Amino acid sequence: MVTLDGRLDTSNADQFQQDIAPLMQGDKPDIDIDCTGMTYTSSQGLRLFLTLQKSVMARGGKMVMRNMNPQVKEVFDITGFSNIITIV
Amino acid sequence: MKLDMHGEMILDQYRDNLPVYNRIKDIALDSIQKCLADNGIIVTGLEGRIKTEKSLTGKLELKGYKYRTVEDITDIVGLRIITFFSDEVDIISALAEKLFDIDWENSVDKRKMLEIDRFGYMSLHYICRLPKSICDDPSTPQLNTLRFELQMRTALQHVWANMQHDTGYKSDVEIPIHYQRSLNRLAGILELADEQFSRIRKEINDYRRNVQSLVASGNFNEVPLNGDTFRSYSELQPFKRLVDKIATINQAEIYDDSIMPYYKVLLQMGMKTIGDIERMRIENSDSAYQLALIQLAGTGLDIIAYSVALQNICIVHILKQGFGEAGLVRMFDSLYGESDYNIQRAARIYQQAQKTNFFVKPNADKLACMLRREKGPLKRNIL
Repeated sequence: MVTLDGRLDTSNADQFQQDIAPLMQGDKPDIDIDCTGMTYTSSQGLRLFLTLQKSVMARGGKMVMRNMNPQVKEVFDITGFSNIITIV
Repeated sequence: MKLDMHGEMILDQYRDNLPVYNRIKDIALDSIQKCLADNGIIVTGLEGRIKTEKSLTGKLELKGYKYRTVEDITDIVGLRIITFFSDEVDIISALAEKLFDIDWENSVDKRKMLEIDRFGYMSLHYICRLPKSICDDPSTPQLNTLRFELQMRTALQHVWANMQHDTGYKSDVEIPIHYQRSLNRLAGILELADEQFSRIRKEINDYRRNVQSLVASGNFNEVPLNGDTFRSYSELQPFKRLVDKIATINQAEIYDDSIMPYYKVLLQMGMKTIGDIERMRIENSDSAYQLALIQLAGTGLDIIAYSVALQNICIVHILKQGFGEAGLVRMFDSLYGESDYNIQRAARIYQQAQKTNFFVKPNADKLACMLRREKGPLKRNIL
């Protein structure tokens, strides 16, 4: 389980990318991202989630984002990313 | 089991040749596997085996007199390709003819050997050698001289052969007439099923080609909406123009995702033909852009999914048809599964749409009609 807090934008996207790099190793990784504390994501965050999901799926695993607040969810909705990323 | 001297001699030759037999088996299997992959043929089984010493001993005991040397025995290395469809046996046999040197004198198409009043359901057997084009090792010339058997059969022929093996029946053994009749009937069913599978596959392929050409030629009204036709339609990138326009709002990058999840939404919306989707696209593209403008302008979000174009078109269509928030909830439930968030999202979009010129007040009759059709989701929602 990965827990996200606060804003995800250009200022911390690189750090986030480094933090999630170990998750992209191995076979059939199942990644569960808890977004309870996440308050915002920029396009940079969307790109990172997309990269992460592609990498996980290429290894036969799955990625799920959960407990997203409506404001963050709206970003996924209006960009069409709700159609790509599994959000529960 | 006790073999005579001649049999023992052949058995000794077999033991000496075992390493070569193994190499022949591996090389032939690799060659077939590569050839099938190169030609895009998927089979249900590809297997190889070396006849065991026990099995060979049994054969020599029964008819060892027929063979001068072990080289006269052609099935010590046996390979088998099991296909899904009967017409693939012919295609694969043609490929095998190109791949290997075929010993035609000893190869048999057992499918054609059956007499009309005999039971059985057989396969095609080729006796082959590895040509030097596949394998040329001067230290082991036997790689090109020893023969191996290649069996090609359908999955149903394989079932039949296994059953025959298990029950011990052979076509040249007398069995009571009622068993013979039962087996004849069964063989007939399997043969008929093989033929029907091939026929149905051909018809489906013809249908797909026909539909693809209709879609490609733009005769959308003649194309019924189903999974295949929608896939063909989506390959034309019908929403590219709109998504390009939406991307200009924030100079966004477009991520090319699939619109296939929308297939069930379109069916739910009553779309019957690809022409219906085209009409919806043409009639609603401007409004869908207007909605995107309200949602994206000023956000700085510079990546969007290709599917957002169809998403907005569907939203606009639902609202213009007077289905209101309930219609939107229904769409989101269908796409993402039921959730309270779908209700919040529908309410938010409904509010945004009220500021647009495409907004239409919900039509009570249409809503009532939709609700009557619905059994699940809308009973719990905003209405």
